[in-house]
Amino acid sequence: MNLVVAPLLMPFLTAVVVLLVGGRTRVGRGLTVASCVGQVLAALALLVRTAGSGIQVVAVGGWPAPHGIVLVSDVLAALMTVLASVTILAGTVYGVLEMPARLSHPLRLPLMQFLAVGIQLSFLTGDLFNLFVAFEILLVSSYALLTLEADDWDVKQAFPYLAMNAVGSTLFFCAAGLTYGLLGTLNFADMAMRSTALVGDPRLMALALLFLAVFGLKAGLFPLYYWLPHSYPTLATPVAGVFAGLLTKVGIYVLIRMCATVLPHELTGLHALIAWASGATMLLGVLGAISRNFIRGILSFHIVSQVAFMTLALGFFTPLSVTAAIFYIAHHILVKASLFLIGGVAALLNRTDDLARMGNLWKAAPWLGVLFLAQAMSLAGLPPLSGFWGKYLIVVEGVARREYVLVAASLVASVLTMFSMLKIWLAAFWNEDPTVVVHTEDPRWRPLAWICAGMVAISLTIGLGAEPLLRLAKQASSMAMDREGYARAVLSTGGKEVQP
Amino acid sequence: MNATRSVLFEPVARGLFFVLHVFAVYLLLRGHDLPGGGFIGGLVSAISWVMLGLALGWSEVGRVLRVDPARLAAMGLTVAGVTGAAPMLWGRAFFEQFFWHGTVPFLGEIHLGTPLAFDAGVFLVVVGITVKMIVVLGRSTSGMRAFPRVEADRYFSILEEPIEGPASTPKEKGGTDAG
Amino acid sequence: MQADTALLSGVLFAVSMWLLLQRSFVKVLFGFVLLSNAANLFVLMMSGEPVGRSAPIVGDPGPVVDPLPQALVLTAIVIGFGVTAYLVTLLYRLFLDSGTTHVDELYADEPAEREKSK
Repeated sequence: MNLVVAPLLMPFLTAVVVLLVGGRTRVGRGLTVASCVGQVLAALALLVRTAGSGIQVVAVGGWPAPHGIVLVSDVLAALMTVLASVTILAGTVYGVLEMPARLSHPLRLPLMQFLAVGIQLSFLTGDLFNLFVAFEILLVSSYALLTLEADDWDVKQAFPYLAMNAVGSTLFFCAAGLTYGLLGTLNFADMAMRSTALVGDPRLMALALLFLAVFGLKAGLFPLYYWLPHSYPTLATPVAGVFAGLLTKVGIYVLIRMCATVLPHELTGLHALIAWASGATMLLGVLGAISRNFIRGILSFHIVSQVAFMTLALGFFTPLSVTAAIFYIAHHILVKASLFLIGGVAALLNRTDDLARMGNLWKAAPWLGVLFLAQAMSLAGLPPLSGFWGKYLIVVEGVARREYVLVAASLVASVLTMFSMLKIWLAAFWNEDPTVVVHTEDPRWRPLAWICAGMVAISLTIGLGAEPLLRLAKQASSMAMDREGYARAVLSTGGKEVQP
Repeated sequence: MNATRSVLFEPVARGLFFVLHVFAVYLLLRGHDLPGGGFIGGLVSAISWVMLGLALGWSEVGRVLRVDPARLAAMGLTVAGVTGAAPMLWGRAFFEQFFWHGTVPFLGEIHLGTPLAFDAGVFLVVVGITVKMIVVLGRSTSGMRAFPRVEADRYFSILEEPIEGPASTPKEKGGTDAG
Repeated sequence: MQADTALLSGVLFAVSMWLLLQRSFVKVLFGFVLLSNAANLFVLMMSGEPVGRSAPIVGDPGPVVDPLPQALVLTAIVIGFGVTAYLVTLLYRLFLDSGTTHVDELYADEPAEREKSK
């Protein structure tokens, strides 16, 4: 039962120990990498346990829900912890290999571990207020990482991100207060039970819209996305990979958790709003990506447009489309993080990621090109790669629900995604500009490319053998949408006697 | 720090420093059953450090405190985290609390519990973080280096340039600088 | 009592929104500080009318006010404290770098900078 605590306790203890011994020492770096591997194993064990024997609940301090704090792991949450720990492992190892200890920033590794605490806690928490706390841990670590190695230009780009997210957190706090006022509880399971009686009450709808605004801001949904594509490119490659892979997906996860588990399923207006906002986000994001001319800028705008595919699937709100959303999250975390890392290797070889000054990479490093192409095609959704299956399910659901406009938007966005990925391909890899030097003598790029290859291998496995993950996603979605089952599992967990 | 020192403020600050610390520890110890606790106690202690810094200059705080406050906070986090995790080693719930009630010679009847250890951790975190933040801001606004030279290794990458000083011309940003 | 508090938090929200929309980052910072105070007051209201009820925990007889919103507010105050300190430091750094905190002057050289390989 205490396995649920492991994915957040391990990074926490790692972070404080590394703070004390120093992030630049051999001990600190080794400990962090070892702990990341341990976190992946713990998360996998949690997933196996949860998929095998149902929802796992830990009552913190032995106080049972709804009065105590609970940590809950269902298949969706456990799957997310696995994906998060894999991404953080890749980002950490990349960072360690990229920079010798002497040059690296001493605070980056502990901050990445604190970021992991926030991310894992937001997946595993069973109540709204701890979700707020988790978001704050995550955000404050992300603020610090964003400005850690920043120059004056980066700081200027970071400030809007900070201001937006700080205001978003305050709104979240107000939403938590309103929830307590309306429902008299902050526990997800208890909220699910009590909100059923309020279907049709405009106050519940207002609360749901406030949630949508708060989590839509985190997820980067239209019209709340503009802070994202300008701040991400200022990050160092390994941190950018982790941010791009995980931060917006935390927002999506919470949206799914809210819509599927906590709020009544009858709020169809909310779901329609999510779907249409997604349609707009998709197109605007991909148009933004086309307008950029450096790798990280293009990829950052793609986060926005890809996030919308997941929320579109959530907006259709059928069992199959929620399954598609979960599958798409799994696909997207891996692909996006690895694309940022591959872009980082390409930038390392060319010493720039400005597309106008890149080139010759296909000749110098054909395998890197293959890796990039595999992930780019997957992002655009070509069969049989992992992006295809998610998009296929979304389109099938959309056609079945006769949402032709949204389906068309998603197809157009996919084609434009392809186009902007080809822009990177042509400029950086295919382009044979004799004036561009490729620094293949740099010994770092091969090990770094192997990390990317590992990530690509995982996502290729997902694409070619989609069946097991699809089955897992189906289990996750049916478990997440079973509000009574979730509430029963959480509220029946025993503990000490509580005087209410 | 400006050079003018108040004749009145300095001895008052020195004297109050100890009184406030006694009060802070008192707040920490009564915290489990009465208003108080690690957070409030930590803030009281932090305020006395800040007062000391205002009266005697910021470098004096570093000389008196000796440890880097941020390390104090990290130690506090470790204490708090270990208090939460330790019950799991005996198969109990995460953050489960245990109490001990008994009589000690000279002190009389006392009531001790693991939440006190957690509160002590919180105390350290609050003191450490607050003092660090205010000392860094205080030092850098009064013309000193934000971090003493010995701490540079803990807070800076050697690729970074110091932030202090007025703005120079916007510098050329050459690609990724390998991250 | 409740109406007064509602009115006060409404005014605080309005003022903070006005400040957040200003074109100087210092005003944005003050807006954020006011906003978190407005939110704290707002959530504190959720524990209901305090008249005739005593403080929880200390053991006074009679009905007590709901302590949960107070716990939430306490947490939020701590977090707000940290975030505010961070924003102040960042803003100070921004001011040292550029000599201004006004949006128009800060981002004046934006288009030219963007062309640089960032």
